[in-house]
Amino acid sequence: MTTNRRAFLHGAAALSALAPGLSWAFDKDGNRKIMVFSGNQAVPVLDPHIRYDWSTRMMQQSVYDALLKYVGAPPKIVPWLAEKWEESADGLTYTFHLAGNAKFHNGDPVDAEAVRYSFERGLKLNAGIAWMLKDFLKPENIKVVDPKTVTFTLDKPFQPFIAYVPWWYIVNPKQVAANTVDNDYGKKWLTENEAGSGPFKLKRFDANALIHLDAVPDYWKGWPMGEQNRLSGVIYRIVREAAPRRAGLQRREMDVITNMSPDDMAQLAKLPGVRNEDHPGSTTFGIKFNCQSGPTADINLRKAIAYAFDYEALIAIHNGGARLMDSPFPPDMAGHIAVPDMPRKNLDKAKEYLAKSKVPNGDIELEYVHVQGLEDARRIGLVLLDSLRPLNIKVNIVGQPWTTMVARGAKPDTCPNMISVYVTPVATDPDTVAYQYHRDSWGLYYGMSHYENAEVWKMIGEARGMTDKDKRMALYGEIQKRIVADQPEVFGMIPNRTWSMRDYVKGFSFSPIWFTGEVDFYPMWIEA
Amino acid sequence: MFAYLLRRFALAGLMLFGLICLTFVIANVAPSDPAVLAAGPDAGKAQIEQARREYGLDKPLPVQFLRYVGDLARGDFGRSIATGRPVGSDLARYFPATLELCIVAMTIGLVVGISLGMLSALFKDQWLDHLTRIFAVSGIALPPFWFGLLLQLGFAVWLGWLPTSGRIGVSTDPGDPITGMLLVDALLRGDGALFWQGLSYIVLPALVLSLPCLASILRVNRSEMVEALRADYITSARAHGVSRWRLVTVHALKNAMIPTLAIIGLRWGWMMSSTVLVETVFDWPGIGLYAVSSAIAGDFKPVMGVTLIVGLNFMLVNLVVDLLYGVLDPRLRDA
Repeated sequence: MTTNRRAFLHGAAALSALAPGLSWAFDKDGNRKIMVFSGNQAVPVLDPHIRYDWSTRMMQQSVYDALLKYVGAPPKIVPWLAEKWEESADGLTYTFHLAGNAKFHNGDPVDAEAVRYSFERGLKLNAGIAWMLKDFLKPENIKVVDPKTVTFTLDKPFQPFIAYVPWWYIVNPKQVAANTVDNDYGKKWLTENEAGSGPFKLKRFDANALIHLDAVPDYWKGWPMGEQNRLSGVIYRIVREAAPRRAGLQRREMDVITNMSPDDMAQLAKLPGVRNEDHPGSTTFGIKFNCQSGPTADINLRKAIAYAFDYEALIAIHNGGARLMDSPFPPDMAGHIAVPDMPRKNLDKAKEYLAKSKVPNGDIELEYVHVQGLEDARRIGLVLLDSLRPLNIKVNIVGQPWTTMVARGAKPDTCPNMISVYVTPVATDPDTVAYQYHRDSWGLYYGMSHYENAEVWKMIGEARGMTDKDKRMALYGEIQKRIVADQPEVFGMIPNRTWSMRDYVKGFSFSPIWFTGEVDFYPMWIEA
Repeated sequence: MFAYLLRRFALAGLMLFGLICLTFVIANVAPSDPAVLAAGPDAGKAQIEQARREYGLDKPLPVQFLRYVGDLARGDFGRSIATGRPVGSDLARYFPATLELCIVAMTIGLVVGISLGMLSALFKDQWLDHLTRIFAVSGIALPPFWFGLLLQLGFAVWLGWLPTSGRIGVSTDPGDPITGMLLVDALLRGDGALFWQGLSYIVLPALVLSLPCLASILRVNRSEMVEALRADYITSARAHGVSRWRLVTVHALKNAMIPTLAIIGLRWGWMMSSTVLVETVFDWPGIGLYAVSSAIAGDFKPVMGVTLIVGLNFMLVNLVVDLLYGVLDPRLRDA
């Protein structure tokens, strides 16, 4: 099936080269342009406190503002609704000073009460983003000092706090109150409506087909490309299959597309008037071992597998568009170090470790589970199968739906020997990744390896509360080395993020902290 | 007749219950944890447990089943676990789009299938008959997603006559739905431009969807027509001087239509389930696409909802076909 489809796509490219010069001009609204962006993922819930994933957050970021914002590569946090903030010496109290001129789409000012209410709403709904702060911040400890000042007092020092604030979008409490039914905090209404202050406002919302945003002409922060070039709006169009997205870009029905395979990207790069954006991402791909039960509970076997694995094949699968992991942390994370002696393919070493293991002659079969339908993860399974053949280890490659895989991985006795998992860190603070190796993460999808090392756990717990930045980062360096030494997974690669767009699309920016496919529409425009 | 109807309805009800049981079992037989989906990515254990309680997933399966059946009886399809939206209102939003697509596809299938079937019977074993046979066989054999991509390539990318996918232009506002069927709504509003635009979007998916249906109608209709044209009553009608046109369209066609009708009924049922493929290729926002995106996410309430709608549609169509038999063949009325 996939071969057919690929063959078909090559055919499509060949045929379209012969096609007469088609030009479907971009959508226009008077003199202003509407930019059409297309990806494969729907946006079922717009409510910023209920849900996030790449497509959802791209929309939330467009219609809402947060106190701070992530921009650029490497990612940095810049002031947004808050023009400045302070942290108390004990690391417990954070004070934010609001810009003051920000207003919601209905004209209400964005004041300290709106900020307090939004965090309270996020914490009380206990969904989506709540996990980031709920163990450290109680709603009653968010205080409005004056309309432009708000303070947050944490229960205990939590250094990642600032790194999570950009994902807490501010909603207009008055609009929410007006649309609340049965004390639901406006949950029902905010699913398909917005109460934000962001650069765009919602025009049309069809969760499974398209979302149309209108630019806010007098956006409180102004428009970086100037009023002259500002877009009329943006349309996010959900197209599940790659071939129609590609055709749409060729025909200029779409201006920017994403979720294309490496092969597709190579073909798209050859089209006139089309430009590819290809950036190092931060989503790590690893093959997690079951460290508690079965043959992989044996560290020597885990080491043997890690040294037998063909890492270069990971890069080849992505046509070169990926980087090998040199630490459990992605390179853009604060405190990241390149761990020395990171396992790379070395059959002699692999055999040495195997000889020390409980299965010195191999002769076992291990299960490798990946998410059904993820072609890359399946192909990596084949690489694993080839890599382990010299060790006389068989690999059974199994594709399962996400929910099944996570259910199996929740307990050591049901967890497969090896599971492939992509993890995208939501913040630049090292705790975001380090905590995945803590005892508390057992049973969650990123904790499926059931990694055990009491010393490392203690270090991870200490590091999140340390206020001395240098000491803290040094500790994270040690944590990275210790985790690699225990080999709870095959540390794989970090695929690049890619988009393909018409060359008249300007203002594209990239930040590895955004999710796969996610872009910031605010600085973008069309030059023609 | 009344007893006959009653029997049919009772049977349909029983089948529906069977379908509900079956979909529920299939949805729950996999060792999967929907609460993980409900809580969202990165959710902690407390959040997952809260989601589990919120969706009643902490209850034993028999209790969950009774609840589901009870909710269904009140017309409540439950909530999607991935999105938290009520499945009923999602279905109400997406079903008209699928219905519209199926109606257009069926119209194409009926008009083209019956007329070509009639023609090939009349010109049996001549070149026209051979041509339609090749057409019909490939129509049944072509995988819809492949044929769909091919049409997109030809008509949208290469020729540029028709849009690639979707239901309407991205910047066109279709207005508030009246029936939810875009073409009908456009006609009701007297909006010609919208109607033509809608038509340009529906042509390709409807063609793909109609092909297998068209092909089987064509073949069945042809063989029944061949049979009917040989019958004694046709010879006798011809002897009575009935015109050839009337002979074919009234006398023979009416008799050939009974088996054809059965095929139409079945094909209508199948058509609604094959929208799953066609809607995915063309991004047609109907229940097929809804089922696919939910199934991929492991979100079972929407899948069960769509299965029920498709099953119900199958039953209703069979019922209507059975009743139509009676109209076409008086001998069956008392059976």
